[in-house]
Amino acid sequence: MLNSARLARHDGGMTPSPETNVPMSTSENTSSQWEDALTFVALQRDQHAYAELFSHFAPRLKAFGMKMFGNEQQALEMVQDTMLNVWKKAVLFDATRGCASTWIFTIARNVRFDMLRKKQSRKDDICADDLWLDGEYPEMEADDNAAVWDSHLLMDKLRPHFDKLPPAQREVIEKVYLQEKSHQEVSDELAIPLGTVKSRLRLALDRLREALDGARN
Amino acid sequence: MAHAIKFHPSMALLEQFAEGTLSADVALAVSAHIDLCPHCQRLNRDITADMASQLEKAAPKGSPTDWQDMIAAIVAQPQLAKSAQPEPVQAQPIRVNQREFVMPRALQRLAAEHGKWLQLGGIATAKLPAGAGHHVSLLYIADDTEVPQHTHLGLEMTLVLAGKIVDENGEYVAGDLLINSPDDTHTPRTLAGQDCLCLSVLSAPLQFKKGLTRLLNPLQQFFY
Repeated sequence: MLNSARLARHDGGMTPSPETNVPMSTSENTSSQWEDALTFVALQRDQHAYAELFSHFAPRLKAFGMKMFGNEQQALEMVQDTMLNVWKKAVLFDATRGCASTWIFTIARNVRFDMLRKKQSRKDDICADDLWLDGEYPEMEADDNAAVWDSHLLMDKLRPHFDKLPPAQREVIEKVYLQEKSHQEVSDELAIPLGTVKSRLRLALDRLREALDGARN
Repeated sequence: MAHAIKFHPSMALLEQFAEGTLSADVALAVSAHIDLCPHCQRLNRDITADMASQLEKAAPKGSPTDWQDMIAAIVAQPQLAKSAQPEPVQAQPIRVNQREFVMPRALQRLAAEHGKWLQLGGIATAKLPAGAGHHVSLLYIADDTEVPQHTHLGLEMTLVLAGKIVDENGEYVAGDLLINSPDDTHTPRTLAGQDCLCLSVLSAPLQFKKGLTRLLNPLQQFFY
């Protein structure tokens, strides 16, 4: 998804930015710098844009690999393989389907999974391509789940379970249900995309539903 | 949805699936469930996006690395052309007992390489080439058949792929994911005029040492 405005903005020739330059996207529809960077890598073999992406993600991917391998050499191999895929397959990235970070994360996860399986020298086996669909399911359920749960009565029952939520989800659910802020307000306040607010809310609600079920049994 | 899937993997299982830390055979059952369940498709998408955004925002730690050589080696490589997207392959149905079944996406490649069907009464099983243990198999149960009591050391995951099966606790349709511990005794059976095809995953208990009780949670029902 490319438009001329974004092209023009990048024409100045950006230098690779330091890692502290975190994108501050406040709206779902405003693409962040990483989606732009990937688009330029795909269309123009833009090495500056690629270096920018690389310097942000590579150290974080390395930490992600270290967690699993506990071994720097393999973690670096995972980073190299992942970032090579990002370079080669940039043209397959579709910003309408999700964030650049999600795309890169899933590549790294799949590379890591297949490396681990190979290490266990298993042939003829389950591989990342079996497990994770590359793309989107056609019939996603409508986004109506949260509405069903949006009642004050229920919230009283759920509130004791808030403490067990992961901090990021708890923060969002408290702002929405206890402080009664709109999704957009929460998005602005926390400087996270609106879509992230909504997905954290849904995840929190599903966790709470599980906690409720557990309490009933 | 023509029918409601009632038995879903727990959030803990879905999170480990998205993170890629679940053992491969269990992940395969979760993946096939997701293929059949729009509710978990959405959850999986959200969990993955959330994990990715946490990775993106994380402060980098560990010793600094000099990446210049790696970057140079990568950008010297050719890039894919737009036309390089792979064509989707047409799934071949699985045949058993003069019946044909289309597999969920996650199982298509492996199911095409299934082993010989072993038949015992109304029950037939065929192993899938999924790792050394060979504990991933398709399980076909003809109509009006009782599955004999069986014991196993680890967890038994059963994903209904087609048809219907019932036990003392309820009935299970395509997409329902059942997880039974060694202590569970239940007698699943098919009803008259309704056969059933399942994916069965048996796991060694060692793989579940961590968080066993959390993994047992998934039997909760989402919709009541």
